[in-house]
Amino acid sequence: MTCDLRFCPEWDVHVMVAGERWGTIIFSCFICIGQVIFALGGIFNAFWLMEFGRFVFGIGGESLAVAQNTYAVSWFKGKELNLVFGLQLSMARIGSTVNMNLMGWLYSKIEALGSAGHTTLGITLMIGAITCILSLICALALAYLDQRAERILHKEQGKTVDLMNTSNAKTWDLQPQGFIVPYVIHKVFFTEKFGFSSQAASAINSVVYVISAPMSPIFGFLVDKTGKNIIWVLCAVVTTLASHMLLAFTLWNPWIAMSLLGLSYSLLACALWPMVAFVVPEHQLGTAYGFMQSIQNLGLAIISILAGMILDTRGYLFLEVFFIACVSLSLLAVVFLYLVNRAQGGNLNYSARQREEMKVSHSDFLY
Amino acid sequence: MCSCEEPHGGWGRCAPSPILFLSLLLSAAPLGLLGEEARQVSLEVIPDPAGPPENLLHIRAVGSNSTLHYVWSTLGPPAVLLVATDTPHSALSVNWSLLLSSEPSGGLVVLPKDSIQFSSAVVFTRLFEFDSTNTSDAAAEPPGKPYPPYCLADFSWNNITHSLDPATLSATFRGHPIDDPTRAFANGSLAFRVQAFSRSGRPAQPPRLLHTADTCQLEVALDGAVPRGNRSLFRLEVATLGQGPDYPSMREQHSIDDEYAPAVFQLDQLLWGSLPSGFMQWRPVAFSQKQGGRESALPCQASPLYPTSAYVVPQSPIVRAFFGSQNNFCAFNLTFGTSTGPGYWDQHYLSWSMLLGVGIPPVDALSPLVLGIMAVALGAPGLMLLAGGLFLLLGPKRYSEYQPIN
Repeated sequence: MTCDLRFCPEWDVHVMVAGERWGTIIFSCFICIGQVIFALGGIFNAFWLMEFGRFVFGIGGESLAVAQNTYAVSWFKGKELNLVFGLQLSMARIGSTVNMNLMGWLYSKIEALGSAGHTTLGITLMIGAITCILSLICALALAYLDQRAERILHKEQGKTVDLMNTSNAKTWDLQPQGFIVPYVIHKVFFTEKFGFSSQAASAINSVVYVISAPMSPIFGFLVDKTGKNIIWVLCAVVTTLASHMLLAFTLWNPWIAMSLLGLSYSLLACALWPMVAFVVPEHQLGTAYGFMQSIQNLGLAIISILAGMILDTRGYLFLEVFFIACVSLSLLAVVFLYLVNRAQGGNLNYSARQREEMKVSHSDFLY
Repeated sequence: MCSCEEPHGGWGRCAPSPILFLSLLLSAAPLGLLGEEARQVSLEVIPDPAGPPENLLHIRAVGSNSTLHYVWSTLGPPAVLLVATDTPHSALSVNWSLLLSSEPSGGLVVLPKDSIQFSSAVVFTRLFEFDSTNTSDAAAEPPGKPYPPYCLADFSWNNITHSLDPATLSATFRGHPIDDPTRAFANGSLAFRVQAFSRSGRPAQPPRLLHTADTCQLEVALDGAVPRGNRSLFRLEVATLGQGPDYPSMREQHSIDDEYAPAVFQLDQLLWGSLPSGFMQWRPVAFSQKQGGRESALPCQASPLYPTSAYVVPQSPIVRAFFGSQNNFCAFNLTFGTSTGPGYWDQHYLSWSMLLGVGIPPVDALSPLVLGIMAVALGAPGLMLLAGGLFLLLGPKRYSEYQPIN
């Protein structure tokens, strides 16, 4: 189990100060430097250096995700935002899948050339750093394009540092959602409970990512065309609940449950993250996404520690029951969000047509 | 000679159909085999008045209308006799001079003979050792380079009287090879810890098998013996009586529940004839540390049963004394660990447990905690949806009532 050090809230302020353009470039640099330090730690067989590398990487990584979300909203708000979030997730999933399957192969190829254990690891990680440099180049290109768009379209970049109104109930309602992000189930679960071979267990573990890569843009498009984000989130949470129940209480082939989990994960990301843009003003989006990201990471960190403890003492069935309880908590939060939104006449659950009408009336009002 | 023929007559006709099975169970099963809530359990070491102390442990579990006799002994290889009678007054009678003779038939008798509903025996014959250093395939057979096996009949065992604990109803047979040229067992031993129970429960140590008053637990522990290979795997050979319709069968039960033995979803059983008769039950897991946890768990692979002649397996005097000399045996092997995972080499420790009993094998059910959490986890969002739905349905209605006034 890997553990990243993630410092979001502090650095999100920097997104606000520097704007997403410089933020993205700075955080990409952090990632590149972090990865190079990590790889050097491998080459010199210094574990503390590797840890320091992960630390630097962690500072960049999560904050980059926040800056990237803010970019997406500033370019696509009021257009196909759900689709864009879907595509973003899809790319991340393709990256994870390629990473999971490629790095082991790369390591064995370099090992065949005849270098020793930690040097091989360091070289492999250094090759991985190339992707980080590609990412930095992309950040620079994006900054150029964004600046150009600003010049041509007279678009303004949010530069105001403005603390979010934290009493905004809807924003906080979104937070518990962080808890339902699927975890990577231990391979042993599939080998012991379902009698899978080790390879089949690895394959089934990555099916969540493999499914979410193509499905995220499709779901994003669907949510764009229909609206009703809360209902879609509700569907995603209920599907997650169902898939965990299948894993816990049946001996059915886990491909069914894991595919459902992949579908629900993609749907959740497409429908949930863009909702923030509906309730939070654009200049506070960085902070809002920062909060969501950091609470999600806090949830993941706490839950992975708890999960390890539960697994050691009470086994996989109880662990699944614990996850079901967590998902059920998220379900409660979604139902609550729906009710609050409905009672206060909020805009979270508007259909696509209502959103369109709102946008039109809003621009009528402006001009 | 008491025989196990009687149960053959009754249980050999048990049809496999579940309904017939159930009706037979309810109507024809002797009460002794239906299981009792609690039993009066006594442990007794039966001494040989004429000779040196011999290990013969008699566990007598008396219920309201049945008695179970477990006779454990290390005369010859470690072995146990399992006899179920349908009277609370049956007794074991031992004729030591006959038992220690070369023809021990009739040396052990449970009286009255016609009260015997079921009887069988288990003999632990040999401990094999393989070096799996150069074996990368976990399923390879044999699992590595074999060493000469330890024959458990050639072990010297401690005096059981000293380890008898009436409070926990347990006793430990601890032994080492008489002839140990490599001094592998200089600081080590092979122990068979036997424990009986007066009521049902579950031990604190994994694999936490659910036991009842009709069962008896055996824990086999190999502790401190120096392995002959760098990555030594051990294999225990277990022989049992097998003839006619009572030829035992091996059954693997898969379940969704691993709450009591984390990451173990299987329960292995050896059943003599059709249920309810005698059974052996174990989880396919062994431990390489005394505090058995998930990180020290080793898989325990059971081989299929294979028939074996009485001449191949070492003879147990108590089995011959009870069942006579003409017996067919069948055997199976339990292999602990694989070449790839954790193993005996970590801490020079290995333990494995099983239950031996009569009647219907105990089955785990979902714990109340799991059921409680599920009820709350599914009930709360459901209730909230219901309440919220009602609120939203009733809310606008009340609002519309005021509209005409305005």
